[in-house]
Amino acid sequence: MSSRRARQSSSSSGSSRISDDQIIELVSKLRQFLPEIRDNRRSNKASASKVLQETCNYIRNLHREVDDLSERLSQLLSTIDADSPEAAIIRSLI
Amino acid sequence: MTFSPSHRVDLKRMASKASLKQKFLKKWMEDLRTYGSSNPFTTVSERKRIIKLSADIAMASIQEGATKWSRALIENASQGMDTFKKSAMSDDRGARLPSAASVAKMIASKKISKSRRRRTRICKPPRPKRLQARSIAKRLVKKRTQVLKNLVPGGESMDDASLIKETLDYIMSLQVQVDVMRSLACMSEHLHRK
Repeated sequence: MSSRRARQSSSSSGSSRISDDQIIELVSKLRQFLPEIRDNRRSNKASASKVLQETCNYIRNLHREVDDLSERLSQLLSTIDADSPEAAIIRSLI
Repeated sequence: MTFSPSHRVDLKRMASKASLKQKFLKKWMEDLRTYGSSNPFTTVSERKRIIKLSADIAMASIQEGATKWSRALIENASQGMDTFKKSAMSDDRGARLPSAASVAKMIASKKISKSRRRRTRICKPPRPKRLQARSIAKRLVKKRTQVLKNLVPGGESMDDASLIKETLDYIMSLQVQVDVMRSLACMSEHLHRK
């Protein structure tokens, strides 16, 4: 039976390498968030680094969006006033 | 009409996301009301900070401690909130600016990448291109994994398997947070325009 390096690294706890199976799992799940990642038939490691890069970029983008939205909201929501129209709408949504 | 299995999964995913959005909005608004009543945040930058911090705390709280990233984020954001409150209650307005910077620094410090250790180059015999490419790819994966660890709250102490699971959950929570904040901003802008 051939012992795959991937299996060995995943069995040792705290290993620093991501196994190929985990990469495949990550890619399939990330595909819902990142449609540009296509099925890469070439080396699994090459697609792993690409997936990681896209993931990091995506997280950074989300962080930036939260920051921008906080900026916008700080100018719009001067008070979460009980009488404000926003409060009424929010109450109906919750 | 029969739905394919993947379609059913998508519907389930959409439903769970919708419930997360509602939970997030509720917690966030409740917290904002609480903070707003006890502290008069009058400057725009103060409001931005409190909006962002409370949004992060709300996003993490609805996880109910189930994920590592949410526990780490609550810890980070709460620290920021405490420092923020202390500075907001101080009488000297001039003192607020430096502490605001330190709040941002405190939250960001967990995400700054640790100093990279220089890899000592050992002279190796020239390898065939196929093997060279594989070791380069391996190094790239390791490097990018480290970047990801710095982006996910609490990521530095995660093993690779947990990192992937936590990342997926964190991304979904971030999407929920962004969607709700964006809807609120658009709605407010629309109301203010009238």
